[in-house]
Amino acid sequence: MDFPILTAIVGVPAAAAVLVALVPRRELVLPVAITLSFIPLALAGWLTWEFAVGEAGFQFVEKVLWFEPWGISYHLGVDGISLFLVLLTAFLIPVALVASHTITDRTKVYIAAMLALQSGLFGVFLSLDLLLFFVFFEVVLVPMYFIIGVWGGERRVYAAIKFFLFTAFGSALLLIGILSLAVIASDQTGSPTFDFVELLSLDISRTTQFWLFGAFALAFGIKVPLFPLHTWLPDAHVEAPTAGSVILAGVLLKLGTYGLLRFNLTLFPEATVKFVPVLAVLAVIGIIYGAVVAIVQPDLKRLVAYSSVSHLGFVVLGIFALTRQGLQGGVLQMINHGLTTGALFLLVGMIYERRHTRQIADYGGIAKVMPLFAGFFLFTAFASIGLPGLNGFVGEFLVLIGSYLSLPAAAIVASFGVVLAAIYLLWAYERVFTGPIDKPENEGLRDLTLREWSVLVPIAVLVLWLGIYPRPALDRIEPSVDAILQRIEATTDYEVPDFGELVAIP
Amino acid sequence: MSAMSFLGVAVELWLVAGALVVLLADITWRPPLRVLGIIAGLSLAGAVTASVAQWRQAVVDGTASLEFSDMIAVDGFSAFGGLLIVVITGLGLAASWDLVEQLRDRAAEFIVLTLLAAAGVHVMAAAANFIVLFIGLEIASISLYILAGYTREREDADEAALKYFLLGAFASAVFIYGVSLIFASTGTTSLYGVSDYLVSVVVLRPAVLFVGAALVIVGLGFKVSAAPFHMWAPDVYQGAPSGIAGYMTAAAKVGGFAALGRVLAVPLSTYITDWAPIIAAIAAASVVLGTVLAIAQTDIKRMLAYSSVAHAGFILTAMVAGGDGLDAMWFYLATYSLQVIGAFAIVATVGGAGEGRSPLTDFTGLGSRSPLLAATLATFMLAMGGIPLTAGFAGKVAVFQAAIDAGYLWLAIVGVLAATAGLFFYLRVIVLMYMQAPAMAEAPGAAISSPQASLPTQGVLAVTGAITIGFGIVPWPLLDIVADALPF
Repeated sequence: MDFPILTAIVGVPAAAAVLVALVPRRELVLPVAITLSFIPLALAGWLTWEFAVGEAGFQFVEKVLWFEPWGISYHLGVDGISLFLVLLTAFLIPVALVASHTITDRTKVYIAAMLALQSGLFGVFLSLDLLLFFVFFEVVLVPMYFIIGVWGGERRVYAAIKFFLFTAFGSALLLIGILSLAVIASDQTGSPTFDFVELLSLDISRTTQFWLFGAFALAFGIKVPLFPLHTWLPDAHVEAPTAGSVILAGVLLKLGTYGLLRFNLTLFPEATVKFVPVLAVLAVIGIIYGAVVAIVQPDLKRLVAYSSVSHLGFVVLGIFALTRQGLQGGVLQMINHGLTTGALFLLVGMIYERRHTRQIADYGGIAKVMPLFAGFFLFTAFASIGLPGLNGFVGEFLVLIGSYLSLPAAAIVASFGVVLAAIYLLWAYERVFTGPIDKPENEGLRDLTLREWSVLVPIAVLVLWLGIYPRPALDRIEPSVDAILQRIEATTDYEVPDFGELVAIP
Repeated sequence: MSAMSFLGVAVELWLVAGALVVLLADITWRPPLRVLGIIAGLSLAGAVTASVAQWRQAVVDGTASLEFSDMIAVDGFSAFGGLLIVVITGLGLAASWDLVEQLRDRAAEFIVLTLLAAAGVHVMAAAANFIVLFIGLEIASISLYILAGYTREREDADEAALKYFLLGAFASAVFIYGVSLIFASTGTTSLYGVSDYLVSVVVLRPAVLFVGAALVIVGLGFKVSAAPFHMWAPDVYQGAPSGIAGYMTAAAKVGGFAALGRVLAVPLSTYITDWAPIIAAIAAASVVLGTVLAIAQTDIKRMLAYSSVAHAGFILTAMVAGGDGLDAMWFYLATYSLQVIGAFAIVATVGGAGEGRSPLTDFTGLGSRSPLLAATLATFMLAMGGIPLTAGFAGKVAVFQAAIDAGYLWLAIVGVLAATAGLFFYLRVIVLMYMQAPAMAEAPGAAISSPQASLPTQGVLAVTGAITIGFGIVPWPLLDIVADALPF
């Protein structure tokens, strides 16, 4: 058997968490952790290199039957959808760790929690056994709960508990859904199974699909978060430490959209087609609502948090457009959002460290003292808005044309979200950075330090690369996405609209 | 009857012999407490070997049997029950060793009662006859009543013992009345006799039988503190000395559920469609009431008591499947017992082994005062909340799976929702320990105490914590074992 690279990716951060706890000297903890976090990044890089382009199925599959009476197996695999989420996770954790130098209280535990979190996230994206997936999905909550609750801001306890209970509530019904699937498998094949690939061959009745879709969608919808289930997000984001926000927005929210794409669309295709209007409407409401609320936020971090609601709405809209472009755009937009929103949270964190305030009104004209910082902020804001040439454009464009094919009304309304994004981000930029410096406290602000350069530059490079040349990413995403659509076409009477038909009209 | 058949009561013989030796030694030459502990340990070790021998005979060799004129069963069910209660007793005694040392002159009787309670619980697990079951129930219950009031200097301990005794005696009466009605309609008190009778004879007017069965369920429901028969639990656990409260919870649950499991799966199995809805209703009431009431508590012992009501409900959730749910029941029971003993051991360390009340505020900032204790308690809280990678999650999956398999999807949904709500109060303990600084205002200048567990307690915490995490990550070995822990 080949080297079990997926197990290594999941296991290395967990092992690193234990190693970090053994480091004797406090000042060495962070450097050691950062160094160790490059191992998963290297492994993920190697995985991407070895990944066979053009194949739709799962690769590097590892499968061991764990407990036969329950039908649970240790089943890992990666395809075009999960590959980039794994890469994103591997990339953002070192970034988050570098940005964690401000954590001085119980550093070891904090870093161990971060690394454990990474293990869990890898596990979620790579698991092909539903119970295993659920274990990782739920376990991720614990380190995040501690990161928010122990190292967070003033209302951290409230935010941490709200975060935990909201998501745990969703996953409660997810667990019932997963167990029900195993029982259905047991009825149909004689033995229960949680194996995703085997569950795909089940014949699930329409009503059952309806309920199971609901259970899964509720769990993932809370995680995304989909309007109106989003209320935990602003609190959690605002109270979490910078690195926590980066991971929360960058990766944790994607657990929801990933779950929708991976499980809802494939396991319950008939229900998916039926539910499209509901989810599309909720996604569009999220896009507009998140953006409008973001405009009026006086707190910079809250503004970015609400912008996440809006951006994740695009992802959900892309997924439930059920077109090739929509799905590709959705997957790509998950990565884009991880990069740009991660960067925005980093930038907000940097300015907060200097001034200990996030109120937009406390700033003004600081581009004069921090020109490079302002430049990075503007660059990231443009990426987030979707300026052509930067990554956000590619994702949002694909989502919009994809959804225009199947849901033209939704696409038209959603496109206003792009305009609104420009309003809230550029207006915030204007109030914080331009004009004269009218507060004396802001005159002595330092521009970017070397440490800050080192986290921002890699992100900026990726933002540019995905904006200018997204082909390598799309080549890998496309086959897996097409396979999902083919499955929906084969099992329902839904036909995926494409440009071919539109062109043929005259 | 050959000599071999004494294997059927070997566990009881070891435990009772240990109890007698402790008692006699204490009367004659008053040995140091350590010696009494060693004697108790030896008798428990003997009981473990006896249980293992029963397991070998019943499961490995496949010759499960009924002994002593069909009074005692030697089967996987009784062998696993024996193993479980003996392990729990060992851990419970070790966890209460601080209390034993405080008691001094009365320590010997304390040890004796613990061993006798264990013997009673094993009789409940092994009984093949309602009368034997009742005797086991009474031995276990009376021992526990006395243990609840053992620190009689405190009034609330007396109150706890009296409440426990009065309500417990009432429940015993209800149980035995139910047995008499079952006898009236079937003509036998043998569990297997009832089973044979009900399989072969159609009871035309089953009302008497049903009332009898319902009363038996109510009586045992009281012992396991299932709602709505749970009223005694919070007062008793709060009043009882913290050192032994964990053992009391675990032993009462193991005995009660072992008895209930066998009664439902053997004599009443033909009427599963009649009693399963009742069990489901009790289970739903327990998880909901236990959870909701636990949220309102400000004392950790009361909180754990109400949470034990909810856990009784989770175990009952598996039992709607009858015999098919027994493995899930055992798994949940075994892992929960260890968690609750560990949790109460920490409560005893923080609040004092002989004490009653233990306000949640005692735990404020424990994370920085006693990091290891806090981390262990956090593990137990997460396990009781059913978070993955702890045995609590595997147990919840097992019971919900059993319920869904039996067609009780609604019960599983009620269960998971209650489990989520339950996270609220488990997380609150973690919040207090890690996310809030100790309140300085109360006693300015007073040194912040950082409680340290005694050596036996440390051992208990190491074992229970390791098992909780270990069976959380790889539950399969235990699941394989409980799959064979079935009645004859």
